[in-house]
Amino acid sequence: MDSRKLKNLVANRLMFATTILSGIIVFFIGFILFQKSTLILTSRPLTELLFSSSWHPWRGEFGFYPFIAGTLLVTALAMILSVPPSLLTSIYLAEYAPAKVRGIIKPMVDLLAGIPSVVFGLWGVLLVVPLIRDYVAPLVGVTATGYSLLAGGIVLAIMVYPIIISITEEVISAVPQQVREASMALGATKWQTVKHVITRSAFPGIAAAIMLGFGRAFGETMAVLMVVGNVPKVPTSLLDPAYPLPALIANNYGEMMSVPLYDSALMLAALILLVIVLLFSVAAGILLAEIKKRFAVG
Amino acid sequence: MVCVRVDCMNRKLAVVVVTIIVIASIFTYNYFSGTSAQGGTIKVSGAWALYPMMVKWAEGYQKIHPNIRIEVSAGGAGKGMTDALAGLVDIGMMSRDVYPEEIDKGACYVAVTKDAVVATVNKDNPVLNDILAKGVTRQTFYNIYIAGNITTWGQVVGKPNVTDEVHVYTRSDAAGAPDTWAKYLGKKQEDLRGTGVYGDPGLLEAVKNDRLGIGFNNIGYAYDMQTKKQVQGIKVIPIDINANGQLDPQENFYDTKDEIVEAIIRQIYPSPPARNLHLVTKSAFTGAAEKLVRWILTDGQKYVEEAGYVPLPQDVLNEQLNKLER
Repeated sequence: MDSRKLKNLVANRLMFATTILSGIIVFFIGFILFQKSTLILTSRPLTELLFSSSWHPWRGEFGFYPFIAGTLLVTALAMILSVPPSLLTSIYLAEYAPAKVRGIIKPMVDLLAGIPSVVFGLWGVLLVVPLIRDYVAPLVGVTATGYSLLAGGIVLAIMVYPIIISITEEVISAVPQQVREASMALGATKWQTVKHVITRSAFPGIAAAIMLGFGRAFGETMAVLMVVGNVPKVPTSLLDPAYPLPALIANNYGEMMSVPLYDSALMLAALILLVIVLLFSVAAGILLAEIKKRFAVG
Repeated sequence: MVCVRVDCMNRKLAVVVVTIIVIASIFTYNYFSGTSAQGGTIKVSGAWALYPMMVKWAEGYQKIHPNIRIEVSAGGAGKGMTDALAGLVDIGMMSRDVYPEEIDKGACYVAVTKDAVVATVNKDNPVLNDILAKGVTRQTFYNIYIAGNITTWGQVVGKPNVTDEVHVYTRSDAAGAPDTWAKYLGKKQEDLRGTGVYGDPGLLEAVKNDRLGIGFNNIGYAYDMQTKKQVQGIKVIPIDINANGQLDPQENFYDTKDEIVEAIIRQIYPSPPARNLHLVTKSAFTGAAEKLVRWILTDGQKYVEEAGYVPLPQDVLNEQLNKLER
């Protein structure tokens, strides 16, 4: 065979193999987790596992509800805190900022994205937690330790921030120059152009950026674990401690992997996390396709 | 063209050869590392609390037995237990009790040294002087950590006009220290109230930074390694052991690490929160591992105090040696 054709064939097959592999890994992980959690799944009804709030493994009570609620609340709070400012920042960087400012700020934002999460966690313990304890809590007239849902949300928001900014800025910069010129030619101000033209044509990309940030927030373990308080109770205020699923696994796995039912419960925690992430990414995929259809420009 | 082709074929051949070598070496590596474990290597893994001690012992033992290699890794008591039961390591290190589920699977363990957990408060605690003068009873700790019916520092020392809230801290991660502290109060770690903070240093930091905080630490963290004094920023809470409402002279041994170690050895400081640290294996210690454990229980004990741990009394050591005979 001609060596060029052979190379082409090999390249084709190789890429096919790696693609298939990356596609089936998620099923592989899911299968292992499911297999490991059958012990607990067969010994307790699923509704009790998912909706009971009582977490006392040594008394045989495995209620994951506080952890599921903790995960969703911390992530939601982080997104609420991070999305608006990061969108404004990326619009400013892409549309308004002089080249010099962009040249300084952008590398700094990228640097922020590369900081290991444990460093964010330490920073949270040293700064965010005392800030909440000494200033935020007295402001609303309560005493609190500072280890709270709010601390987790803030630390997580700051971790998500650079991801959204970085991608959104790229997306906005990629909007064709003619679109801007056309808008300006009609007499629109810069703000009107940004608001009605740029953000609309960049919207699918922005949505994708937010979803990427969301993914990071969801699974983040160490930084959140260090500041969130880790009390297995559904929080009723921002200053209450929370306990997300990844923290549950990280806190207990090393010590409890030799106790079969406990080990199985932690595997189930991982499986629940995986299922929630899958549900969200499917929903996000559908949403994104819908947005693309609706906002399609030219 | 021909020349180019040959070159190309050679390169492909090279790729194939390299691939085969890589795959083959992965297999042979596994094969050899599998067999060398039988020889002069003793593998140890497990609890963080025992890791520094084990490293000292490993150094000491290798000095007199240069042909023995001891590989020590930490990863939590559960990992030590799992590895030991699966035969991945010869010895597992345990900082918590061995659970019945683990004994059912054939876990065999000996105590090798002691450690203790002490309760801590911030140095600016509003009722610090009362705490240091009166001590705190086990019942009061129970009411703070389990029952939750003591919520102010005034209630802790019997001064109702002090209404500063008690900020209760515990460990978020499953570990020997919280397990032992809960055992002192007759419960499990999952029953301890309070904000969960990760790790011994994290809990220390939380109490250091919160004027109203209460926590607990291994003595290795509550006392400074060099100065042997209590760590700056916190105060160790003395336990009112006989619950007579005041700290008697014989109950007052918290100033330096040497004093509290002495109190633990003489079993004045209650146990728990003092606790034995264990080495574990599947069914029985054998071969090189057995020799090492035997040495740890005899000559190896001289390294214990130097590493900052509490030596076991001689009768307990003898008991452990008897356990090895069986």
